[in-house]
Order: sequence, then C-alpha cells, then structure tokens
Amino acid sequence: MKRIGIIGSGNVGANSAFFMAENGTATVTLVDIREGLSEGKALDLLEAGPIRRYDTGIRGSADITAIRGSDIVVLAAGRVRSPGEGREALYRDNAPLVGELCGEIRALAPGAVVINVVEPVDMLTLLAGRVLGFDRGRVLGVGGLLSSTRLRHLVSRALGVSPREVTGMVIGPHRPGMVVLEDTVRVSGVPVAQLLEPEALCAIVEETRRAGDTILELSERSTAYYAPSAAVAALARAVIRDARTILPVSMRLDGEYGLRDIALSVPARIGAGGAESVIEVALGGREEKEFRDAAGDLRRSLERAGAGAGPGE
Amino acid sequence: MPGKKVSIIGAGNVGATAAYYIAEKVMADIVMVDVAEGVTRAKAIDFLHAGPMRGYDVSIEGTGDYAAVADSDLVVVTAGVARKPGMDRMDLLRVNAGIVKSASKMIARYAPNATVIVVSNPLDVMCHVVYRTTGFAVQRVIGMAGILDSTRFRYFVAERLGCAFTDVHAMVLGGHGDQMVPMPRYTTVAGIPVSRFLDADELERLVDRTRKGGAEIVAHLKTGSAYYAPAASVAEMAEAILTDRRTLVPCAVCLRGEYGIENLFIGVPVILGKNGVERIVEVELEPQELQLLRRSSEAVRKGVEELETFFTVR
Repeated sequence: MKRIGIIGSGNVGANSAFFMAENGTATVTLVDIREGLSEGKALDLLEAGPIRRYDTGIRGSADITAIRGSDIVVLAAGRVRSPGEGREALYRDNAPLVGELCGEIRALAPGAVVINVVEPVDMLTLLAGRVLGFDRGRVLGVGGLLSSTRLRHLVSRALGVSPREVTGMVIGPHRPGMVVLEDTVRVSGVPVAQLLEPEALCAIVEETRRAGDTILELSERSTAYYAPSAAVAALARAVIRDARTILPVSMRLDGEYGLRDIALSVPARIGAGGAESVIEVALGGREEKEFRDAAGDLRRSLERAGAGAGPGE
Repeated sequence: MPGKKVSIIGAGNVGATAAYYIAEKVMADIVMVDVAEGVTRAKAIDFLHAGPMRGYDVSIEGTGDYAAVADSDLVVVTAGVARKPGMDRMDLLRVNAGIVKSASKMIARYAPNATVIVVSNPLDVMCHVVYRTTGFAVQRVIGMAGILDSTRFRYFVAERLGCAFTDVHAMVLGGHGDQMVPMPRYTTVAGIPVSRFLDADELERLVDRTRKGGAEIVAHLKTGSAYYAPAASVAEMAEAILTDRRTLVPCAVCLRGEYGIENLFIGVPVILGKNGVERIVEVELEPQELQLLRRSSEAVRKGVEELETFFTVR
C-alpha cells in the first residue's frame, strides 16, 4: 500500500484524508503541530470505517517524522485567508512555515510528490519547489483543478444535467484573473455554447472566479474545504494509480506558455511521477490576453512579496 | 434507491450482466424473466449469494412468469436470437420482432407505467415494435445504441493516447454499429478537442474500429458476442432514469421532426431522467454529418417498412 502524509489536520487536511479513505487511495498519516488533533481526527475516521466500509489505514501524529518515506505529501498547514484580505499579506505569514516544512519533507520523503493547497497557492508552490529542490513535476499546487470542479458544478446546475459528463478547464493563477478555457466547457462533448445563452455562461465564469470568496463570505470565518479537499484527493489518486489523467495543476513553468520561473495552473498529464508533461493548448485571443494579464499580476505580487525568482536562484 | 424495481426480459449474458451492474450501482430490486426458467432462477440465486460480499441488499428474482414484472419502474428488453448461419437479415428481423412483440404485450399488461430500454437487435427497428405494441408515451421507449458506440470510441481514444479513459468524452449519432455517425468535433480529452492530440487519419481508424467494435469481439469469442460493455451501457441508462440523474447521452429515440426526421427511432443526444427522455438535444451538424445521419435513418426506415408487411400479414 502506498503512503500519503498530510501536514495540517484542519478542515482541508482532515477532509482530504476522509475522501482518500473513501476511495481506498492509500494509507494516510495526518500530522499537525497541535498535540492530539491528528490522533483524534484519525481515530474518528477509523471509527466511521465499519459503517462507510473502508479499511484504509489512517493514523495521526504531532511528530512530522511520521511522514517519513511517504509517496505523497500534502501541504495543508498554515493560516487561511480572512474576508477581504489580500494574498500578499497571507504569503508573508505562510511562507516561513511552508519553507520550514519543505525543508523537513526534503529530508523525510525525498522521493515524494508534494501537493500544496496552502494559499496563496501559486506563490507558495513556487517557494516549495525552490526549497525542496525536487523535479518540478513533483511539486504541484491545487488551483485550476479546484476552480474547474466549481465551474463544472455551476454549468451542470444551470443546465439541469448531471455534472459527471460536464467538462471544463480553468488555468492560470488561482485568483480572480484565472482563465476559463471556453472550448473545454462541454457536456458529453457538446460545446456549452450550443446549450446555454452567452450571458448565462458569462455569469458562470464570473461566479467561478469569485467562488472561493463567496464561500468565505457566507461562512464568515471558514474558507471552503470540501471542494479543495476533493481536488487534493483527486490529484493524489491520479498519482497513486498512475492514472495519466489530464488535470489543471499549479506548477513551475519552464518555457511552456512562454513563461518561466513562475508557478500557475496549466493542463498536465498526472501519473506516478507527478506532472509528467505539460499540455500546451491553443488559447483564444481573449484567453491569451487574460492569461498574460493574470500571469503579470501574479509576477508583480511575487515581486512585492519579495518572492520573485531572480536569475541564479 | 428504495422501492425501485427493474425487470429484465431475457436473462442471457447481456441481461444477466445488466442485472448485476444495476443491483450493484442503483440498488434496485431486480426481476429477470426468461423462457429458460431454471437457468434464470439459478442466476438469481447465485447473485443473491454474492450479495453479502458485494454489499447489495436488493431482491433478485429469476422466473419464466411475466406476472413477476408487475409494477416495474423500468423494463429492459434484451430478448431475441442472434443471427444463425443460413438466416438472412429479414429472417432475423421477423424472429426477433415476434419475440419482442409478445414481450411488449406482457410489459403493457403488467407494468403499464414502466419506462422501457430496448436492447434487442436490430435495435432501431425493435424500438418501433416496442413503441407500437405497448402504446407507451414516446419518451418512455428508449433504445440502447449510441451510448455503447461512444463508450467503445472513448476507450479506443484513451488507449491510443495512453490517458485515463474517464478523460475522454464523445458523442455519436445515427444507428448502431455500421450506421453510426461519429462526431470527432464533439470528442474531447479533458475537455480539449481530440484534434489537438490525433490527426484526422488516426481518428478515422478509431472511428472505423468503433463501427466494427461488436464484430471485433465476436471474432475473438468465435461463439457469442460482447456483453460487458452493452450491459454497462444499459446500467448507465437505468441509473440515469431511476435516479433522475439527467445525463446527456446518445440513445435511440423516436424523432418528431428533430434533425428533419419524422417518426423514426434513431440515435441522437438526449437528456435521460425520471421521465425517460427528458429532452432531445439538437446539436449543430455540418452538412456532411447531417447527410450521414439521414442515410443512417433511411436504413432504419427500410427495416420499419419491411416490418409493416410483417405486422399486417400476421
């Protein structure tokens, strides 16, 4: 059985473990600095097993060395965003923690694929990759995959059809400037433009961009965690099963889409080695501009936060 | 799905495997009816023995008595014979039309509110037999065809690309098998048009393999034909209808002017839900695709007309 270590046993970490257990993905170890929290959540999950009919191994620990030798490590620690808060302040708070944890991961699980879900996800995925020193395909952030599942839900709701056959890919930075690839928005292969009015699709795209904020505002204190956890679990499952499935993930680019030294979501083929190749799709004129603008915004954020990757880094 | 009941007429490989998928996925009670009563009863008992391990706790009955289908929500018609040496197409049509006609009378008598999924071949013509004989509302008679062609095509594309087959979505139109109208424009990999990954020649090869997908299996098996993918297609439709999943899939349904075709069962994209066909979706077709669809429909019309003489002679 493959092993997954999850660092951070908050809502995202614990629910990722829950989805992984239900899918029988791998043995899960939850780790959190808060003494007892991981042990308690692991025990609670195990006690649900007889009813939910899973028998996945789940354990919890306050000691990070429990993740030693993991095939996948999920970074789900740190602080979440407050309503109205910008991403740079959050970066300044979470970056030292992510840097420190990546130093530990490098020593404890040098062969792992690392999945980062800590916000701001693109900036911290870039930082994680730099500290880990892993091949870039083994340092992935959950961004586009999360927005894509939200988009697919919204399209299925608008059309009154099952979400299972709805496709739709969101790429670019995980912020309001994200790019919805309109040609990928389809139902059983039929383009959504044949099924939905243009205004309705526009409204859905806007709602997708704002989806994280909408949940944050509704719940006041808590950020979304079911859909983010589902995205983490889907990514982990694709790696564990060597699914070679194409998913939009945040990763450092090395010339693809004309960008380098920046991490943002692009379609990639996900298998046992993490992102095994980046798929470069043709962007429409408007999409191309949106993508450049959003990448430019992200790069300026990185510079303001003092996280820009200069030459020689 | 508490209280749902599915009856399957014809408990051969397709019928019995469909029963298995439906019991596992939808948790509906199952009745299998077949003239081979003992074999059918044995299959039902065998399924029940597997239940404690597989985790379904539905009732499964095998019988030769049509009265057992009473009050079914869904009836699947798989009964019929395969073409035997020396039989021509018309012989097959007559034999199966007779079998399906008598099954339809029983369905109308015992399960007057059921939705019917037709699997017997030749499919598009057998849909007519069920529709005419039961007198059911047009949205409650649905043929299983395009969904099988499209799952095969999806598999072939995924196999060729070495990607997860759940990434591939496809739509096909027209009649089943030879008469299939593939829609490469509506075929995607993770939503990305398949033309990004495969050139036209390669796609055409996969389309051709899909057209002959049934024959490929027959060639391997020597005796018998495919049943896992056909049964999975039935189960997918059953699940969509029984759980009101509103899924967009290609099925053979009676067109009433859609795509310029009148009163003919032909494969087109539909939304399946609790009322059977919730909506027929008219996708944009290029002139060449429309021409293929029309040609496909003419072949079906010919079969139906041949059947008319059969119905009147009897």
